[in-house]
Amino acid sequence: MLKLDHVSKTYHVGSEDFPALQGVTLQVESGAFLAFVGPSGSGKTTLLNLIGGLDRPTSGEIVLNGLNLKQMRNEDLAAMRRGQIGFIFQSHNLLPVYSIYENVLFPLLLNGEKESAVRGRVMQMVESVGLSPFAKKKPAELSGGQCQRAAIARALVKQPSLVLADEPTANLDTENSCHILELMKNLNETYQAAFIFSTHDERVIKYVRREIHLQDGRVSRDMRRNGQGVLE
Amino acid sequence: MIIGMAWRNFYRQGIRAFLNVLVTGLTIIAVIFMLSLLNGFQAQATRNLVSTDVAGGHYRLPGFDLLTPTEWEDFAFPVPAALHGLAYSEKAEVLLQQGQIFPERRLFPVQLRGLEMQQTLLHLPLESLKSYGPEIGEAIPVVLGLKISEKAHLKKGDSVVLRWRDRFGAVDARDVVVLEVADFINPRLNDGILWMRLDHLRAITRRHGEASWVAVQTYRGEVAGLKFYSPVMLMKDILTLLKHDRRNSKIMWIILMFLAGIGIFNTQIMNVFKRQKEIGTFMALGMTARQIAGMFTLEGSFAALGALGVAAALGIPFFIWFQGVGLDLSHLSGTTIPVRERLFLEFRPAEIVTSVTVIVAVMITVAWLPVRKILRLDPTLALRGKAVT
Repeated sequence: MLKLDHVSKTYHVGSEDFPALQGVTLQVESGAFLAFVGPSGSGKTTLLNLIGGLDRPTSGEIVLNGLNLKQMRNEDLAAMRRGQIGFIFQSHNLLPVYSIYENVLFPLLLNGEKESAVRGRVMQMVESVGLSPFAKKKPAELSGGQCQRAAIARALVKQPSLVLADEPTANLDTENSCHILELMKNLNETYQAAFIFSTHDERVIKYVRREIHLQDGRVSRDMRRNGQGVLE
Repeated sequence: MIIGMAWRNFYRQGIRAFLNVLVTGLTIIAVIFMLSLLNGFQAQATRNLVSTDVAGGHYRLPGFDLLTPTEWEDFAFPVPAALHGLAYSEKAEVLLQQGQIFPERRLFPVQLRGLEMQQTLLHLPLESLKSYGPEIGEAIPVVLGLKISEKAHLKKGDSVVLRWRDRFGAVDARDVVVLEVADFINPRLNDGILWMRLDHLRAITRRHGEASWVAVQTYRGEVAGLKFYSPVMLMKDILTLLKHDRRNSKIMWIILMFLAGIGIFNTQIMNVFKRQKEIGTFMALGMTARQIAGMFTLEGSFAALGALGVAAALGIPFFIWFQGVGLDLSHLSGTTIPVRERLFLEFRPAEIVTSVTVIVAVMITVAWLPVRKILRLDPTLALRGKAVT
């Protein structure tokens, strides 16, 4: 589903170059549940941004569902994000003027759906993250954990093939983090959307089926859990 | 969807949005008021000049100059039959000569202006002269304007010696009696003029059948030996003044628009700066930069559109009230501005539509200018709130 081939990204700051990623090559299969693990500055977020088409690699190629992102125009990348990618951010990034229901509805409206046609689907998604009683509330009226659950619903409502979650539990306490991770694991199994996290949170790492460790912009380890839950 | 979201975001701005709408709305009202007041002034001033002096134009000898009294005697002419034969509602013969009066033993130069009593073309407060016949009695009856009566210390019923020169150069003198001190709505007729019957002035200056000009209702074609002065030529000074006033009002207009524009511009800059993460989120959700910029511009444009509502809500009652009371200009009686009564607004729909369209267009442009940054925004930096610093 996703293939990265010798992807590098270098930032130019003044007259200096800062390599954020160097020759990253990997493949991610459909329905994956994996995490990019590494310390700050290791290139996790950069990698997510490149996969999500929010940024472009300095060299190398990224192919998502057969689409070579390097060759796509900004408008086409936006269309790809609309249709195929769900984003979950460190802070929920919900739209403050919209209710929870409207926030979850928003990606579908962007895809040209009519509200009347997708109302049931949106409510079902809101229910699946346990926010039915709060559907009409604004994000400011909800806790951080509830908002993050709404953000997950927003990311999944359009049934994307890939969900990119950038440190989704960083702003949550342990209890909320566990709830969120359980929820995402269940949704991953239900909807078969691939989840890619960037994290250095041990609580997240315990949940994923594959860990890709990054160090100074390079893949240092790529480990999968076996049937017994042991990393290999 | 984008319109709905833009509206909610605009509404979310709260007091800032309200102030922008209010200032822009007041700007629209102020611009319409300024333009309509000038229109009203122009309409009333020209109407006053036309009804008391200019009419539909003057036939004069070429070279006649009202400001050169020493030449007036040389520029009187026998009224040609083509003009003399016109109905009294279509022409007014006017004779102008120099004279001096001696109030309280002072010499006071005056303009002797004789007007046909039968004419109905010009509207002047000379009714009292009509009660006299063409024969002159012991004293010549005259009407004075307020200003000359103040300067010469003359009031109704006073007599004073008048000296003049007839067409043969002979100097003569006689008493004049002030029948009336009248308030002319045209201040140029209030000062320096002794109004008398045309037949009286012609008789004492031995200028039978002569006039300095013939005011006509409409242009009567070429008349041999005479030149036609159109209303525009005769009112050149006041029209020039109004032209300058319009230019000044445009400066005021620009200042007002600048102030209103700054409010919206500032709000838009703040929006882009404070809502970078939101912009980044929109991009991540799949909106194009162009769509986001359009939505933000729409938000800013709501101030201009809302201002139309405010302008209507506040402006219409204000204008209705103003048209009931008018602007009192009685304090201008000491000036030469030809408007003495209350001034009312005159609305010109095309002018209002143009002004409002320009204001709304400028405000939408001002709303768009700061938003252009979004088109160049790096979504990864926007998501971190570091794209615009």
